[in-house]
Amino acid sequence: MPAVCLEDVNHEYGSTGGRLRSGSDRTVTALRNVSLDVERGTIVGLEGPSGSGKSTILHAVAGLLVPTAGTVSVLGTDLTALSDRGRTRVRRGHVGIVFQRFHLLPSLSARANVALPLVQAGLSKSARRERASTLLTQVGLEDRITHLPGELSGGERQRVAIARALSTDPDVLVADEPTGELDTETGADVLELLTDVGRDRAVLIASHDAATLAVADRVVTLRDGTVVEDER
Amino acid sequence: MSRRFGAALRAVANLRHVPTRTSAVLGIAFAQIRRSPRRTVLAVLAVALVVLSVTLLASLGVGVVDIGEDGLESANRGIWLSGDPVDPSASGTENPIVGAHDVTAELDERDDVSSASPIAMYEIYVGTDPGDLERTSGVGVPGTHSGFDFQRGGGYETDAEDAQEAMTSGEPTTEEVVLDPDTAERLGASPGDTVYLGTSRESAPEYEFTVVGTSSYYSQYLGSESTAVPLPDLLAVAGTTGTDRATFITADAADGHDRQTVAADLDETYPEYDVRASDEQIGAMLEERPLILASGVTLVGLAIVGGIILTVNLFALVASQQREELAALRAIGLSRWVLSGTIGAQGLIIGLLGGVVGLVSTPVLAAGLNRIVAETVGFERLLRTPLEVYAVGFALAAVVGTIVALVAGWRAGRYARIAHLEA
Repeated sequence: MPAVCLEDVNHEYGSTGGRLRSGSDRTVTALRNVSLDVERGTIVGLEGPSGSGKSTILHAVAGLLVPTAGTVSVLGTDLTALSDRGRTRVRRGHVGIVFQRFHLLPSLSARANVALPLVQAGLSKSARRERASTLLTQVGLEDRITHLPGELSGGERQRVAIARALSTDPDVLVADEPTGELDTETGADVLELLTDVGRDRAVLIASHDAATLAVADRVVTLRDGTVVEDER
Repeated sequence: MSRRFGAALRAVANLRHVPTRTSAVLGIAFAQIRRSPRRTVLAVLAVALVVLSVTLLASLGVGVVDIGEDGLESANRGIWLSGDPVDPSASGTENPIVGAHDVTAELDERDDVSSASPIAMYEIYVGTDPGDLERTSGVGVPGTHSGFDFQRGGGYETDAEDAQEAMTSGEPTTEEVVLDPDTAERLGASPGDTVYLGTSRESAPEYEFTVVGTSSYYSQYLGSESTAVPLPDLLAVAGTTGTDRATFITADAADGHDRQTVAADLDETYPEYDVRASDEQIGAMLEERPLILASGVTLVGLAIVGGIILTVNLFALVASQQREELAALRAIGLSRWVLSGTIGAQGLIIGLLGGVVGLVSTPVLAAGLNRIVAETVGFERLLRTPLEVYAVGFALAAVVGTIVALVAGWRAGRYARIAHLEA
């Protein structure tokens, strides 16, 4: 069973929720009949221009959105059949997310940022600290544990973000342009880390960047919400 | 059944985590507050200002009522005759009742009046050194009484013969004074010492008086430091024994006579004077206050609204600045409650801190204001801070803190949505 499985996924923005945009019939099709699966231990790169649907796939896998049609399964659980709360629970337990712009809380130390997801899990303070320190050591930041994000370089911040994504030991890792804000050399370090931690997980990386896509075991190319190439 | 059991178990597990989550949320809130000291100080000051505006105005209100009540109660006189409505702030400048001793004698003879006594006020200069005189209020009264509550020494009496002699000769005869305790302290004068006293710097060295005691009786009533001088002596040093001027005449209604009725009767008999019963007097004093009260209440209202808006906006801004982070944290699985909690807790902490700062500075500022008021206007302890004032201040801080916490937390919760991710 693949860790992640999308079957005939279609998604239109503006068709659900209808948050009083300008006109209810203005919809944008983000995904068209997308089918995709990712095995554990595989890194899949999602390639394509802006608006091709890369981020939408990542959000669907993370359960951040429910596609208009089709199914999205994570470890065999169909996310589209779950409530918002149910999807949050799956995400919290099984999916780690790495953002392009890190999104660390500036007033919290690296360790406190990494420990944040564990607050929700109800872990004690000492347990959270221990886990966060271990993860920061794993990503090579053992001497930056008490530093604030503002005192860290871009590459270091993304490492903290990766450590945070790993804090709940997820089975699936999604990364949206993880090197988008980094220079080539720093980006390479971060990618090395991602491939390292992705060894026993299913990893999806969305990127424009050839160097980033080069670390993928398989690259899926998207155009206008459709898979045009899948190096299976 | 097993599903329900599972849900129940999860609910229990969730409850079990509430304390750890709460402490974590507070920890994050504290960290954010600590890392933005300027913002924190600004917000704390805003709340402190709100609390202070309320506690200080409340202290002022308590003080005004206390002083008014003290003054009129201790004045212990039922009916007042004056040329104009009594304005304590203009004390000592006008003595509109001419032939005060005659009027007093007339009043004394009435059946419905048990006793009457004239009071004159002059600005006087007093000092132990004729070259170093201090200006103060001189209150001319025929004698002191037990209500004076002397701090040191005792009082004086003017006997009829001395009074008559002073009135005819134009020279002081009793030559005794009761100083305000603060005046006495500044002059370094104790009972038994000699002071020089007159209505001008030039005339004062000519008149020697003996300090017989210290009391703040008239100071409390008039609201400025006052020296009690035998009435004929005061008229003599002022050179007005001829016209026999007084500021007002006080009269007590005789037993069995209603004060209001006597006052009304006197008002008819003496149309040239303003006659009031003393409870009307407090009414007359308060008549001029509604505007001041209204402006005070308006100011406090504005301070409260302004403070809340400033603080709420500050934290809504904090939430707005961090909306991407909040959305990201929501995406990685933190609940809206935890995220709202981190921002809301900051509001609450700020509210309480501001409250404490406001309450702690209340007595300090009240003391400072009291000193300024005492030096400029003469009212002692105009601002009074009973426990209730602090209770009101603290309740307000808690209310402000809670409102800020609720609004800021709610805003943060709104920002903690996926829609704000990578916006």
